[in-house]
Amino acid sequence: MNVSSMTNKILPTLSTLVYIFLWAPAIILVIFSFSNNRFGIKWEGFTLQWYFDVANTPAVRDALIKSLIIASVTVIVATIAGAVIAYGLYKYRFRGRGLLRSAILLPMVMPSVVTGGALLIFFTRALHIPLGYLSVIIAHITFSIPLAMFVILGRMQRIDWSLEEASMDLGADILTTLRKITVPLLLPALIASAALIFPWSFDDFIITYFVAGVGTTTLPIYIFSQLRFGATPVINTIGTIFIVLPIVGLLLMHFLQKKK
Amino acid sequence: MAGLRQRVARLLMKQAHLPYVGPVALWTFLFVIAPLGIILYFSLLSVGPLGQIVPSLTLRNYLGLFEGAYAVILLRSLAFAFGTNVICLLIGFPLAYWIARCGGRWKTTLIFLVIIPSWTCYLIRLYALKTIIGHTGLINSILLSSNLISSPIDILYTPFAVMLGIVYSWLPFMVLPIYAAVESLDATLLEASEDLGATPFQRLITVTLPLTKGGIFAGTIFVFIIALGEWLVPLLLGGAKVMMAGNLVEHYFIRVGNIPAGSAIAATITAIALLVVYLGIKLGGQEVLERVT
Repeated sequence: MNVSSMTNKILPTLSTLVYIFLWAPAIILVIFSFSNNRFGIKWEGFTLQWYFDVANTPAVRDALIKSLIIASVTVIVATIAGAVIAYGLYKYRFRGRGLLRSAILLPMVMPSVVTGGALLIFFTRALHIPLGYLSVIIAHITFSIPLAMFVILGRMQRIDWSLEEASMDLGADILTTLRKITVPLLLPALIASAALIFPWSFDDFIITYFVAGVGTTTLPIYIFSQLRFGATPVINTIGTIFIVLPIVGLLLMHFLQKKK
Repeated sequence: MAGLRQRVARLLMKQAHLPYVGPVALWTFLFVIAPLGIILYFSLLSVGPLGQIVPSLTLRNYLGLFEGAYAVILLRSLAFAFGTNVICLLIGFPLAYWIARCGGRWKTTLIFLVIIPSWTCYLIRLYALKTIIGHTGLINSILLSSNLISSPIDILYTPFAVMLGIVYSWLPFMVLPIYAAVESLDATLLEASEDLGATPFQRLITVTLPLTKGGIFAGTIFVFIIALGEWLVPLLLGGAKVMMAGNLVEHYFIRVGNIPAGSAIAATITAIALLVVYLGIKLGGQEVLERVT
């Protein structure tokens, strides 16, 4: 029959091709990171040399530490901010609520060059703060808050709020209720939001590129500076780490959500 | 006195949301709204002969967008954003449909396999793509060694490479919302239309597409906006030959330091992006908002 031939043959074939298209470049990069080829674009026998090289490059270590610091601060601040604003939007009805929600959403629907560029001009021309850790972290928090907010809002719509009321009725004060009831209830969403934001912040190149200035070389910025020298196996090895890290993060997130 | 205290108390009650909403509202105003305002302001200024900013209002930067090379680049950005969107839809819809309807117990794994690439550093992925389609890359070496071609074909630094890179980077953002829409589609409606004698094509047009409209619009909005603002893909895969609006923004903000010119381009693509969001929500209805949020 026409329908089944369509769904049975064409769709799987097309889907397989799309999967190959999406995965082949990354897989080839991972494979070449173990290749003995000096340019990292041909297979010439197995080696771990490039991994040792990367581990022994101080610039890479510096960039990694900077990226980790920035991503950690971003995750903590944005997740807390996202939880607080989500709570406010979920619990209260006030004038301008819809407008505020749209405004918070704005960084998600703005081209990243505009977000990065606008923040760059704002930092240098209006606030006059030097470009560095502070400007990068502010930028990362700005594009992470909407992510955190929506992950947490989604969870808030599904949890049983009567537990919170019960706790208050039974005489627990706000802080105790928060510590014993609200936060544990929201914990899966808080973890999911952190697991989502960390790679976003860690991977971000475009917005960081605009607001980093000269000194703050995060790992993606370091990779970009290396691209000028053409293909090198070092990029393959760092790239492999970048490909493996989010896979681990997503799997972690998946299992955490499954458990709940 | 008591009345005043009561009034203050009532006012405070009304503002009970402020401690929760205030900080992020302030942050959003300071780091989202104000920077956009600054851009808009600068876009109306011009640059003097010494590179200094002249503080008198003018529309020159915007009028310049309709001339010569700028117009070409802006039109190219729109064309690429539109073209890649159509390609993503043509590939993404069948894929999302297949996963949601035929994925069975592998559904979650299959959709994860679509999402994961978009969660890895996109600079790295583009670099990986670049080494494959390059002059000495994998595709050319395979074609050469199988004697299909006699000299390497130019893929890199062509409009094709840029569109390929955009589709490669952002396809998952089209698949995900459509998948969610097809997932929540009532299967009995599809069966009913089949029982009533609808051809597969009729079924697609009259049942499946209208019911998954929200997902399609959400994916379209995402991909269009991202593609319109692309900067890295044309930089890496297009070179100087295939520039897009985002490259102009970076060129003026970082390389040249002509803030008014860069601001006008940034403001223009933001305006187009917001217009697309508005139209998408208008045409796709509330469903889009739910999918987006």
